Amino acid sequence: MRFGARLALCALAGALIGTGGAVYSVRAGALGDQIRLGPWTTGRDFGSARASGYTRAVVALRGLLALPAREARYYNAAIDGAGDPLDRRCTYRLSGGTLPAAWWSVTLYDPAGYLVPNPANVHSVGSLGLAPAEQGRWVVTISPNPAPGRWLPSGGAGRFELTLRTYLPADGGRGEIAGDRLPRIEKLGCA
Amino acid sequence: MIGRWIAPLALALFAALLAWHVTLANFPQVLMRLAIGRVTQAGGENRMAHAPLVTAKSRAIVRPSPDLLYSSCPFDLKRGPVLVQVPAIPAAYWSLSVFDERTDTAFVRNGREAPGGVRVALLAAGQTAPAGYAPVRVDGRRGIALVRVLIDRTRPFAVIDAARRQASCRAAR
Repeated sequence: MRFGARLALCALAGALIGTGGAVYSVRAGALGDQIRLGPWTTGRDFGSARASGYTRAVVALRGLLALPAREARYYNAAIDGAGDPLDRRCTYRLSGGTLPAAWWSVTLYDPAGYLVPNPANVHSVGSLGLAPAEQGRWVVTISPNPAPGRWLPSGGAGRFELTLRTYLPADGGRGEIAGDRLPRIEKLGCA
Repeated sequence: MIGRWIAPLALALFAALLAWHVTLANFPQVLMRLAIGRVTQAGGENRMAHAPLVTAKSRAIVRPSPDLLYSSCPFDLKRGPVLVQVPAIPAAYWSLSVFDERTDTAFVRNGREAPGGVRVALLAAGQTAPAGYAPVRVDGRRGIALVRVLIDRTRPFAVIDAARRQASCRAAR
């Protein structure tokens, strides 16, 4: 093979590997995977000019038009408290208390970041919908079938993710909620 | 034999690193352009489109919040400033945010900071804001202005919905 052909072949192969590797790494990246707090991951520079090229790309794919930290913090969980992937066939106990923000919500998504169809048309639980007595201590069952109390349907089969939004965080978005104050995700069993 | 491949392999490594960085640098812009295109289809350029409550079928933006009503204006500043107005909305939370074509946030204001509403002029380099509008400089000329309004899905929200539908977006004359 001629030298010029070897150069062209290797340049093409390198470009394809570099492009493919970048796309793969962004697709494999989680929303805000810079800081891990138990099962939750988060980042501080969404929607910010300070964000690295990689963070900017992952946020564009996973949460385009996310607000900067002073307005909202986003915490994402793709695993439970034991480190196992969240599975829509399983039943989970999601529990927590008051969070230091003007309001918060936890939303259930499929791995692509879209709401999961379910007959109850329920996709989230949040502070706005909790009774005053529940604000300090709340429990939600995540399961494919109806459950007593507060129920967050997980739909059919496959994996899922939870996104916790805390709007107008009390610290202005400068820090994270302590890991032991974030909602706990416990697996109770699987069908 | 190996010596004949050293230079090509070095070039391959260089090409891979270059392609990695170029891809990452362009990823957000490409996705933003697609998002601008989708939102423009819904309501047109420099116009505020008031989306219905998100459902499991919604695909306009990734990871939408089911607790928010979204109104969005895909803007283009090539012909001059674009004026965005959001009235006071009787919701526990509402905000106007402006994103440029690199996905950076150029502006955010919420109902606590602006209880009487917001009037801003989105400006490219060299443009000036008309009287009565706060200037917001945007890198590049395209982007999305997004209104988020908090609702409780379990309670009626017609009054909140009617108020957010008064939010507008138009090219300055």
